[in-house]
Amino acid sequence: MKVKLDPRTKLYMILIVSALIMLSATTPFLWAIRIFITFIPIAFLIVEKRYTSAFVFTGAYTLALIMTFVLVTDESSGFLKSFLTGYSGIVVQFMPALIVAWYVVRTTKIDEFMSAMQKMHIPDGITISLAVVMRFFPTIKEEYGSICDAMKMRGLSLGGGNVAKMVEYRMIPLLFSCVNIGDELSAAAITRGLGGTVKRSSIEKLRLTVHDWMLIMMFSALTICFVYSKYFKA
Amino acid sequence: MNSKKLTAKDFITIGIFTAIWFVVEFACGMLGYIHPYIVAGYAVILPIVGAVPMMLFYTKVEKFGMISIMSVLIAIIMFVTGMGFLGAPITILSGIIADFIAKSGGYKSFKKTVLSYSVFCIWVCANFFPVVVTADSYRQDLIDAGFSAEYSESLFRAINYKTIGILVVLCFIFGIIGAYIGKAVVRKHFEKAGIV
Amino acid sequence: MEESIVKIEHVSFKYKGSNNLLLNNICLTINKGETVLLTGESGSGKTTVIRLINGLIPHYYQGDLSGDVTVSGYDIKNTQLYELAGTVGTVFQNPRSQFFSVDTDGEIVFGPENIGLDPDEILERKDMVVCDMHIEKLLGRSLFELSGGEKQAIACASVSALLPDVILLDEPSSNLDRVSIERLREEIEVWKSQGKTIIISEHRLWYLNGLLDRVIFMQDGKMANEWSGNEFFSKTVEEIRELKLRPLCVRNYFTDDCKRECDGKTGCKNIVSVPESKDGAVLRDFYFSYHRKPFLFFKRRFTENDEGLALNTKSLVLPKGAVIGVIGKNGTGKSTFLRCMCGLENDCKGIIESGGKSYKGRERLKLSYMVMQDVNHQLFTDSVKAEVLLSMEKEDEKHTDDILKSLGIYEYKDKHPMALSGGQKQRVAIASAIAANAKLMLFDEPTSELDYLHMEKVGELLKTLASSGKIVLVATHDPELIDMCCDYVLCIENGRLGYMKRVE
Repeated sequence: MKVKLDPRTKLYMILIVSALIMLSATTPFLWAIRIFITFIPIAFLIVEKRYTSAFVFTGAYTLALIMTFVLVTDESSGFLKSFLTGYSGIVVQFMPALIVAWYVVRTTKIDEFMSAMQKMHIPDGITISLAVVMRFFPTIKEEYGSICDAMKMRGLSLGGGNVAKMVEYRMIPLLFSCVNIGDELSAAAITRGLGGTVKRSSIEKLRLTVHDWMLIMMFSALTICFVYSKYFKA
Repeated sequence: MNSKKLTAKDFITIGIFTAIWFVVEFACGMLGYIHPYIVAGYAVILPIVGAVPMMLFYTKVEKFGMISIMSVLIAIIMFVTGMGFLGAPITILSGIIADFIAKSGGYKSFKKTVLSYSVFCIWVCANFFPVVVTADSYRQDLIDAGFSAEYSESLFRAINYKTIGILVVLCFIFGIIGAYIGKAVVRKHFEKAGIV
Repeated sequence: MEESIVKIEHVSFKYKGSNNLLLNNICLTINKGETVLLTGESGSGKTTVIRLINGLIPHYYQGDLSGDVTVSGYDIKNTQLYELAGTVGTVFQNPRSQFFSVDTDGEIVFGPENIGLDPDEILERKDMVVCDMHIEKLLGRSLFELSGGEKQAIACASVSALLPDVILLDEPSSNLDRVSIERLREEIEVWKSQGKTIIISEHRLWYLNGLLDRVIFMQDGKMANEWSGNEFFSKTVEEIRELKLRPLCVRNYFTDDCKRECDGKTGCKNIVSVPESKDGAVLRDFYFSYHRKPFLFFKRRFTENDEGLALNTKSLVLPKGAVIGVIGKNGTGKSTFLRCMCGLENDCKGIIESGGKSYKGRERLKLSYMVMQDVNHQLFTDSVKAEVLLSMEKEDEKHTDDILKSLGIYEYKDKHPMALSGGQKQRVAIASAIAANAKLMLFDEPTSELDYLHMEKVGELLKTLASSGKIVLVATHDPELIDMCCDYVLCIENGRLGYMKRVE
């Protein structure tokens, strides 16, 4: 099965999930909705054959859920318990958004993303910058990895016990690398016509399909149920 | 190249520095998992650690819009990572004001840059707004949901209506301190190496 | 009648904030369909000429420019960069930093999309380019998981998709291995057959034999000499050396497969009898894989019978006082070998025996030091001197000065390491390795971006290090370097040692 979602649907998904996790769930019904919307992006991760991340997310989320529900049945007190409650509470709270964000970033091509932004009339500048942000995270990770290796070789990982040095030794080479890469990246992008006055075209033909509409409707319906049940029913 | 308008190169630079800022924020955010009090500590940590890339950023673009766009990007990323959209308007607002301040100094005046940066830092507090604005209902929700009174108390003891003012002021002050540290680091490394 | 397509008239240039005149009154006319090589020392102005033609000077890199540049009818000074996109295409040096997308398909169509072509036409172009360049296998992949050579192939395809008349290549082979360089040659051949005008700036010369119409030798910002391609490639070894260029043809260490002359149990037989090896170092049980299969709570050790090992070395004797060249195709385990040896991979539990002691785990970090391919990652402080002092257990200024003097970088001791040239940065890294008193010195591709003169310097330095009693291993794709300084070559294939033999 291959379901390809439109980037706009994905953005809508982010919008709804972020909104719903801001509203706390208090009844079992609300919890059910919240858990349900968390498992939708996980399902899509499985469809996209990203089994590892789907597995890890499911595991972590379930564990946090269980911990939250089991631990809070008792009168939780003591440092460890309140620590664990706090911790799993944060995970349960923010995990859904993290999962959706992960799913969207991992399955959306820069090209697709740029053309979706264009369709939504977002200014080019913001689109380009945001595309660079997405492209740059893996680069930072690679560079940082090499810098850590170099620190390990010289025994600098702990900066001689000096926190400022620890930060400096990591940050300075990283900034130098990023500035260099940025310069080269801009030169390469500009010589290939980025930033022209012509309207950018795209080979990604974006169209909202039945799947997209179904998902959008489902998410809308869930939101309405959630809000109604939370604020009007009681 | 001398035009005041942002070019593709500038947009790429903005993207890169936003990515770096976000990584810094994320690294500091990891500390927040240890205890709710550290979440409040962002107001001190982030303005200082983030100052180094930001001071470098100020020297790289020097055109109006650089900080505004960055704040829009940060707002979007915050939103995407589930920190909600209550803080977004504040982030963008502080970015735009910071941009105007820096512009009034022609992006060259160090004093204006310091002021601009510390205003920009106020967005860090935007992280806390969801907790504050929804505090009462949120606290009730937490207790209804069976959270221990202890946990919610320790969260709200650190971040509430009373302390948010202090946190904003802290952000601002440490923004100023951070700007001086950041500038010193930029001088020590980047100006000496001749890349600024 | 030949038609000129690139015309540079009386151009002088210096970068903003620099007093150094990089180009000094240059005149150059290139005809349509020509393939031209620009060569010469680093800093002779090759790259600057490339930047003049693609418009990065004056639109991206600012400075004082006088004279006129015309490309295909465009007056470069008054043309915006994006207007040139369909006319001039550039392949840059560093494959890592020149892609904008995250996936290969997106990267190929990036240019055509920017200039707003019709989607159907873009797809047509993409299919054509993919077919011309034979990169079907690379489609639909993440750019971050490709090797340097594959990234460079995508960069070429991306430039090609814009159908430019003029194609510029700025030291395109810098980060490539032998196989990828041959592939690059094929790509240039395709362009040549399509009648493109090709201008290459390059140190590495051997792979260009038979492709060039003209060779321009640059020196101190001037065009010092010019030959036809055939004339140039019939020069003698001495003439080329006189010009301080890299050799025109190189010995091929890389085509014959690494036949397994080493037997897994006792190490490489043909070197056991080497006299120096007595006080060298012995590596034992180096096994490593990037795909580990952990048990639930603790990691399982790798053993030699595991499948899919990236490194599988039961034992190996490394002779002291010798330079050992480590060769092998890209992705066969050279880097893994070096990384494991200096203890960067915690999961590799190999032991190094040296001087009657055995070093394992973190102790290996102290015994060895690697100069990385990108030295920028290993320079942390704000002056050369501080960099060396940082590596010492006890700060000793006099010793520091001695080390710096011996490496010829004493005059830069108060400068910021990042303000130095690539070769000088390498020396700073080597200085801190000496200061850390490392016995094993590992080099990962130290000469890939250097010209002949600097390569020669590195070669001498490696020899000096070896004769001072260090064990020097250098992973390289440059046969020139092996000829210059290596005593042995060690060939690695699929993580296993092939052979190790003396260089004759």
